[in-house]
Order: sequence, then structure tokens, then C-alpha cells
Amino acid sequence: MPIKSYLILLSRQGKVRLAKWFTTLSPKEKAKIIKDVSQLVLARRTRMCNFLEYKDSKIVYRRYASLFFIAGCNSTDNELITLEIVHRYVEQMDKYYGNVCEVSHHMPAACTRMLILGQLDIVCCRPQPFLISSSKSIQIFNFQKAYFILDELLLAGEMQESSKKNVLRVISAQDSIEDTEVDEEVTRIM
Amino acid sequence: MATSAATSFLSRGSSGNNSNMRGLVQFIADLRNARARELEEKRINKELANIRYTRKAHFLMGLQGCLLTVIADGSLSGYHKKKYVCKLLYIYILGWNVDFGHLEAVNLISANKYSEKQIGYLAMTLFLHESHELLHLVVNSIRKDLTDHNELFNCLALHAIANVGSREMGEALSGEVHRLLISPTSKPFVKKKAALTLLRLYRKHPDIVQPQWAERIIALMDDVDMGVALSVTSLVMALAQDNPEQYKGSYVKAASRMKRILVDGEFAPDYLYYKVPCPWIQVKMLRLLQYFPPSEDTHVRDLIRESLQKILNLALEMPKNVQQNNAQNAVLFEAINLIIHLDTEQALMSQISTRLGKFIQSRETNVRYLGLEAMTHLAARAETLDPIKQHQSIIIGSLKDRDISVRRKGLDLLYSMCDSTNAQPIVGELLHYLQNADFAIREEMVLKIAILTEKYATDIQWYVDISLRLIAMAGDHVSDEVWHRVIQIVTNNEQLQVYAAQNILQYVKADHCHETLVKIGGYLLGEFGHLIAEDKGCSPIEQFLALQGKLQGCSSSTRAIILSSFIKFVNLFPEIKPRLMYVFQAYSHTLDSELQQRACEYLALASLPTDDLLRTVCDEMPPFPERQSALLSRLHQKHANTSDKRTWIVGGKDANANEKDMVKNPGLNRTLSTNGNGVPNGATNGTNGHAKVANDLAGLDMMDAGPSEPKTLKQPNLASTAHLSPGWEIGYNKLLLKGEGILYEDGQIQVGVRSEYRGQMACVILYFSNKAPVAVSSFTTTLDLDASEKGNLTWEVKGLPESTISQGSQSQQMIMFTAQNVFDKSPTIRISYLAGALQALTLKLPVTIHKFMDAAELTAEDFFKRWNQIGGAPREEQRVFGIKGSNREFNDSFIRKTVQGFRWGVLDGVDKNQKNFVGASVLHIGGGRKFGCLLRLEPNYAKQMIRLTIRATDESVPATMINLMEQRLAVGQSTQPEVFQPPTMREMSNVFGNVLVT
Repeated sequence: MPIKSYLILLSRQGKVRLAKWFTTLSPKEKAKIIKDVSQLVLARRTRMCNFLEYKDSKIVYRRYASLFFIAGCNSTDNELITLEIVHRYVEQMDKYYGNVCEVSHHMPAACTRMLILGQLDIVCCRPQPFLISSSKSIQIFNFQKAYFILDELLLAGEMQESSKKNVLRVISAQDSIEDTEVDEEVTRIM
Repeated sequence: MATSAATSFLSRGSSGNNSNMRGLVQFIADLRNARARELEEKRINKELANIRYTRKAHFLMGLQGCLLTVIADGSLSGYHKKKYVCKLLYIYILGWNVDFGHLEAVNLISANKYSEKQIGYLAMTLFLHESHELLHLVVNSIRKDLTDHNELFNCLALHAIANVGSREMGEALSGEVHRLLISPTSKPFVKKKAALTLLRLYRKHPDIVQPQWAERIIALMDDVDMGVALSVTSLVMALAQDNPEQYKGSYVKAASRMKRILVDGEFAPDYLYYKVPCPWIQVKMLRLLQYFPPSEDTHVRDLIRESLQKILNLALEMPKNVQQNNAQNAVLFEAINLIIHLDTEQALMSQISTRLGKFIQSRETNVRYLGLEAMTHLAARAETLDPIKQHQSIIIGSLKDRDISVRRKGLDLLYSMCDSTNAQPIVGELLHYLQNADFAIREEMVLKIAILTEKYATDIQWYVDISLRLIAMAGDHVSDEVWHRVIQIVTNNEQLQVYAAQNILQYVKADHCHETLVKIGGYLLGEFGHLIAEDKGCSPIEQFLALQGKLQGCSSSTRAIILSSFIKFVNLFPEIKPRLMYVFQAYSHTLDSELQQRACEYLALASLPTDDLLRTVCDEMPPFPERQSALLSRLHQKHANTSDKRTWIVGGKDANANEKDMVKNPGLNRTLSTNGNGVPNGATNGTNGHAKVANDLAGLDMMDAGPSEPKTLKQPNLASTAHLSPGWEIGYNKLLLKGEGILYEDGQIQVGVRSEYRGQMACVILYFSNKAPVAVSSFTTTLDLDASEKGNLTWEVKGLPESTISQGSQSQQMIMFTAQNVFDKSPTIRISYLAGALQALTLKLPVTIHKFMDAAELTAEDFFKRWNQIGGAPREEQRVFGIKGSNREFNDSFIRKTVQGFRWGVLDGVDKNQKNFVGASVLHIGGGRKFGCLLRLEPNYAKQMIRLTIRATDESVPATMINLMEQRLAVGQSTQPEVFQPPTMREMSNVFGNVLVT
């Protein structure tokens, strides 16, 4: 079992918003883990610690508004640093979507933050623009970005990059390629 | 232009693109608004039908397009595909089964467009598991992307492998991944992904990482990019756990990098996480250091101590927010673990024990939890438990914490800190807490209480009281091992038997008695009932009635035990035989075949004309043979299944000393069996339940074979004499006779040596100059000495060279050598650095025994007196040899220079023959010992031969010394003036080495 074996984003109603597995498990095993872990975590009350023991592993979780971020890791792993990996992920998305929001000028940053941290959950963090003013806003509702950002942060269950700027740089590079490609496509269709 | 075109295009409601995009938005919004699962399902089914339909249409269109070899529509269909796959993915993430579209998804991987490729890869990692057959189809696409010039494509491919990489994929692609990791042209953001991808593949199949990669991978820990260093450290952590010898170089790297980050502040500002310098890399390095035994090198120890002290100081700062607090504590607790692991840092140790005391009382639940955990680690290692014991009441209080996670940790700590002085109160508290404990941890608690009770019982009554009370209270949570163990202990300790029998009878007599107690009762009364038969209230008939009263309410296995006790009663108490026979008769008609067989056999046994056989069968049970406690196996089994190497286990010091057996306790006699097999059925040979029980229990022993066997790959020691770099001997030979000079030089690096010898000590300073046109990084030196010389020559490294040496500058390293004895082989040094690719040299250091000599002055009389005193062999060595090679000769000045170079005092006018050389010296070695050495060299210039004789006051000296001198003298001096020689191929390649790409 690697240091970190899964990351699950769970709404307070128990709906899975994102699940990333760093170990190979059958769909049945995954379902079992999600079920058990959801039960354990949803039953926790405030001011309890952020760690739980589950079978041979350890669960490190944290709640952001109505969304639980749950990381499954090895029982020997450093708990607090795992907790901060989760936080870095949240910040990273905050920063990414926040920036995009500023481009479209239609939603104040604070508002976006709230969206990301739970109101609308992860899957549609980017606000829906009212005007299609830039090519960027073609990518609405791209839940897949949450996965791409995660891939830049964690690989094989290990922290890959802790610099916010560096992660953002790679994601922006991806975005700009995508934008060029969409532009090209649109031009061609025209 | 493009933007406005897009705007107008997209604003057209009827456009395919726009409706699709809207479709996805609308779809997601609908799903999010669906309050009930059924509504969600309805919407999804509608969408799936929709996608199936369109997909088919497009697929056909694609096919037609192919036939017509017109790809005009290709891009559109790619875009559509992307959108459909996105929808499918979203449905999949919501937890619905998506069983089609996988092939389309995978096909997107080979698209040329980045955005399509990206979705394809995402779909692949989400839809496909590592053994999915479709993965075979993509290996080539992945390989293509790995070798693409576009780094973003490389990254996509690396992500894919890191997410679903299997053994097969590893075998096919690990070479490319490794190339991306080490290639000087790889960008940092590719390198770090390659490192972690390799980690994934290593976990799937360790053989993928080849042993010769080790040095290069370790060198990457010095990468200036913190992200690369972090990722490579993760990789090295996994590798070092399995091959500590191969990756031991990472120890010094981690120690020095940590010091550079913490003390010298060497990191980019972006890596400051809420005022804590890159906590992730700190935690990793602190953990890596725990995988190795503490270093013996004082310099490295100093580096680590300095960093640890800095961490402790930084942690005193009041955190401004949760993040800083967590990051600070994450590093602090890892540092505490390292300090406990090192176990030598008294000053640091005392600092942390006071802090831990505060942590376990913290208002923050996380800190309480981690404090208890760290204290458990301390208890597992510390010499004395006193610093922990002073917090006993707080720790007991943690059993009442509102958070179960904290309660568990409290339980672990109480278990670990228990010894004979505090066992009674701790066990008492645990028993008390057991009544209200969560179901989830009761079984573990029972096991722990049982182990502690047995381990620290000094009072036999206490042992029996607690064990029976434990079972009475937590009956359902008592595993079989626990009650088997009680029976084993009682059987093996005669002094316990009466007391145990009396007590168990009281329990069995009670109206409510847990079945497990009935089992123990059945066995103990059957064996030892006669010992108490005279006591009041314990007469045979009363014992019988007590057991018989429980027969009805018990399970079949318990009834079987009671029947066995009754046959023993037939033997012990003939006066109640009729009543016993009545029971057997009744059970000989029961439907349960096991019970029926027993009853019939016992009936027959009891009805035999003589009771010889009965007596033999029911003879007293012999003591159980001594073996490991099944309780400990059971407990350890709970913790065995992790691949990350635990550096300690929960339990006291002896549990960590690999002593799984319980410590000998004078109070109890522990000649017991592991399995406890046949305890309940011991007297009933031939019944079919017996073997089954034994087999069931045999499995409990399994945990002894660890989950992963350490690999025993033989690793070449690159720093040893066997790997000396070509050209090493030129500088070495020169420096044999000199204290300073150039040891090695090529186009990239120059290694200079300056040395000073005083007595048995030598101070050697190595200078490394960078001659390459660029800075070299990850500069590493490793000293080595042949195993046969270990102890003869020791050293202490006083400093490490700079990790990065910029162009034209120099770094140095000081090493103190001590000659403890006469030694024969010189130490070697491995120097490696990154200048694009990894460069490495192994050189022999000119540290030889003669360097520890001082020239001496003697008169002729003294010389010959001593010469004769020493006498011949074994304290004398003599050689006769001639010149080696052509155009070279011996002459007077050459010999004089060489002999003096070997630090002999040349005594002129001592020998009658003026041509002969006579020398004297004193050799200093460890412990202040001094050996007198004398030399006589008789040259024959006509024949160009030399006779060399060396005598010394210790027989170990002459042979070693004469070898060294012969090698050197036999070379002679050139008879011709030095001529210019054209540069050799090697010199050429050295000069151009940094220009040519290899």
C-alpha cells in the first residue's frame, strides 16, 4: 500500500464528487471502501481530530463547507502533512478558478471561493459566465480540471509539487494549448 | 478574429457545438438539481440513450469518412467524441456503471490535439483498471507520447502510467521513464513526474529499477528544483527500505539538504508554506533518516543535530493559522520520531519529553492524538519509562476522551508503558474502561489486557482474578486464544490450580455465566476438580451440578468439553458415577454426531470391567511445551500488513527488540504451546473435532514471515578498489612521496590533496576544482576501505564538499585519518557529480603506512646494535630486484630521493660501503605505540639491481613496507629527457567530455 491510497471528495449528503485511487482495487473493493469511509467520516463531530483508523490504514479527512476531503493512507504515514496536502489541493483549485473568474469579471473572487469550497462542490467550480467574452469561458463546468490539478499535485499517491506557482504554470500551459486548439477548430468550422 | 468568430459561432443556438456544450452544462445542472436518486437515474438513462444514438451516427460517419479518405469532418468528430466522453465520465464519477464508450475514450489518446488527448487519458485512468485488455492497445501511443518533443505530452503519458501502470506496462516503458528522469535536457516538471511514475512501477514490480541506477537517482536528491528533490526523495524512500545498502548514500544527502533548507535557508520563496520551509520535503527526509541506523560519522550527526534543534526552536513560534500550526507540527512530530530513533541525543531527548507531556494535555485534539502516538514510540524505544509514567493519570484520562481515535492511541500507550510496577493500576483502569468501550476496540483491548496480565503477574491470585473477570465482562469479545492461554497457564503452574478451580466453580455456579467461562470451567474442573473436592461447597456433586446446569444453554462445542470433563469425573469421583453415566446415556441419542460419538465412547470406556484404560486416558495433562504466545501473534497480525517499513511497533522496549516471546516472568511458568491446540479436547483422543481445531489455530502463527522479504541483490560497491578509474595511479604515485599535489585531473575536474601527519594522526584535505564550463551539482564523495583493513585505519570526515561547485571554483573536504594498526591497503574515494550526465571517479588516496613514519637519526654504533637486536625473520624482510621497463635506471640521487620520500632518515657514513644506503625511522600507530624501523639498501649500479632489507621492532611492518618501496623503486628514473607525447584518446575525450553528448 503506498503512502496515500485514495482521495475522495464527499458531499455532506454522502455523494461522491471526486474519487482518485492510487492503488489498484476492484470496483467492489472501491465501493466497499467508499461506503465504510463515508459512514465513518459523516458520523464525526466537530472538534474531533482529523484522523481515523480504518482497518490497517489511516484516514485523514477535513471538512470544507459542505464537502469532505478524505485521504486514505498508510498507518505509519505522517498525518498532519497529509492534511496539508489536502489543503494545498483546495488552495490550488481556489487559485486556479479564482483567477479565471477574474478574467470573466462577472463574479467576485470571494463568491467563487465559496462556490469552490462547497456550495456547488467541486464538479462545477468554475462559474458560468453570462457573456461569452473570451475563448476561455468555452470550458464551462469542466470537472475534469479538478483531476488535472490533482495530477499536478499528487502522483502515485505522493506529493509532487508544493509550489502553487509551478502547478499553476503547468495548468495554464495546458489551458493555452487547449484555447489555441479550440480557436483553430472554430476558425476551421467557420 | 478567432475570438469574435467563436462568439458569433457559439451564439448561434442551432449550432452543433454550442448545443453540445449547453447539453453538458444542462446535463450537469439537471443532475445536481435531482434531489432523489431515481430522478438522477432517469436523467442519466435519457442521456445515455442519447449518447448511444449519436455515437453510432458519428461512428458510421467516421467510417464513411475513412472510406472516402476525406478527413474534413475528423476534427469535429474528435470534438464531439471529447464531449461525449466527458459526459460519460461525469456519469461514471457519480457512481453509475458505464459499460460502453471505453474504446472511443481510448482512441482519443492517439489524437493529435492536446485537449482530446488529455480527455482520452483521463478516461483511460478512470475507466480502465491496470489489467484491462484495452491497455495493451495504448502502450504504443503512450510510448510515442513519452518520446514526443512536447513536454506536456510527456507529462500526459507519465500521468497515465503513474495512474494505471501495471507490471507489463512497466516492463515495456520503464526505460523511457528512466530516461526522462535522468536526461539533462528534461525539464524539472517532467523529471519529478518521471520519478514518481518510476515509484509506481517499482511498487508494481521491483525488478524494473536496476541496481546500477542507484547512484544516479540518489544524485537527483540534490536537484535545485525543490519539486524534483521532493519527488526523488519519495522514490528513494521506497528503494532504500528494500535495499538500504544500495541507497545508503541517500543518508548523507538527506542530512545535508535538510541542514541547507533549515539552517542556511536555501529554498525558493514559493516553497515557504505558511512560514514553514517546504514541510513536505522535511518530513520525507526526516523519515528517510529513520530507515537507516544512526550514522557513526560525527560530521553527519552534527548536521542532523543542528537541523533537529532548529526544528524544535521553530516549533516554539506561535502559529498564526491552522495551516502553519499543522505544517509546524507535522515536521515537529517527524523530528521527534527521528530523535527517538537516534536514541543518542540526550539534550534533544529531554527537550521532547517535556514537550510531549504538554502535547497530551493540549486542547487541540490533533495534538493530543499525535502526542500520545509519539509517546508510544518513545515507550517502544526508551531505556526508562519514567518520563512517561509521570503522566500516567492524564494518559488514563485519555481513555475517556470523546474522540475514539484518541481513545485508541491512549490504549496503545497504556499498553506500551506498562511494566511490573504499574501493571495492577493500569490493568484495573483498562478493565474498568472495557465496560463502556466501543465495540470496535473491545477485542483488541481484551487481547492487550490478557497479555499485560500474564506478562506482569507477580501475584498468582491477581492473574486468576483478572483473567476470569476479563472473560466474564467481555465474553463475546474474547477470542479463543485468550481462554486457551488461561488454561495453559493454569495447567503449567501448580500453585495456581487450586485457586483457579475454586474461582471458576463460583462463576459456573452463578445463574448467568458467559459460555467462555463454562468452557474454562469444564476443562479446569475436569483436571483439577479433585484438588478442591474437600472444600465447602465444592463437593463432587456440587461441581457436577454446576456444569450440568449449563449443559442445556450451551453450544455444541461447549457441551463436548463438558462431556469430556464428565468422563474425567468418572475417574476422579467414582461416587457420582451413576449420574454421569445417565448423562452419557442421554447424549448417546443426540442428533449432533460429534456429541453422540463422544457420549458413546465415554459410555463404553466407563463400562469396561476394569478401569485401567480409563485411568490411562484420564491421566493428568502434561505441561504444555513452551512456545510463542498466540496472543502476541494475534495482536501483531493486526499491524503486519503495511508495505511502508515500520520503524517501531506498539509495545514496550522488549516488543521492539524482536523478542516476540514474553519476557521471563518469575511469577508464572510459561511452558506453553502457541496454538493451544487440543486444549479443550485434550483428553478425548479420537474424536473428529480435534484435528479441525488444530488446523484453524495453526494459521495464527503465520505473521512471523514478514509481509515482504528484503531483497538480497548483490550490489557492487562502486567506491571500492575494484572500480578504480583509469589514470588514478599517476597522481597517486607522485603523492606517495609528497604531502601535497594533484591527485587527479581531467577536462572537468581537478582533485588536489594536502596532507599533514602527526604521530598516528593524519589530516588530509581534498580540493575539488571545477574545470567544466558549467556548474556541477550533486557533488558527492564516499570513502571506502577494504573490509580486511577495517579497524586498522579509521577516519572521521570533518566536512562535506559543497553540493554545487560553480564554474572555475573550488570546494574542499577535510578528513582525519588515524592509523590504529599497520595497514596494507589504502583507502579509496568515490567522487560523483552531475555535469549534464552523472560523472563518477574512484581514486585511491595516498594514505599509506610509511606516511605515519618520522625520520630518525642514529649513530653507526646505535644503528648496528639495534639492527642486530631485531635480528632476522620474522622481523626482517629482504628483496632483490632489478629495474622494470627500458630506458630507465637506478642512480644515487634517485634512490636517495625515494628513500627520503618514504620518510626514512638517511644515515650517511654508517655503512662501510659508501654506496649503500642506511635509514632509520619511527612509525607511530594508535594507542601511542611506536615501532622502530631500520633499512639497508645495497645497490649494484653495474647490474642495475637492488638488495633491500628492512627490519622493524614489530613483525607486521617489514613486509608491508618492502612491498610499497619495491613497487616504487623498481620504476627507476628515466634516462632520456622528457619528450612531448601526443595526447591520448582518453585525454582528448576528457577535454571534450563536456562538449560531446554521450
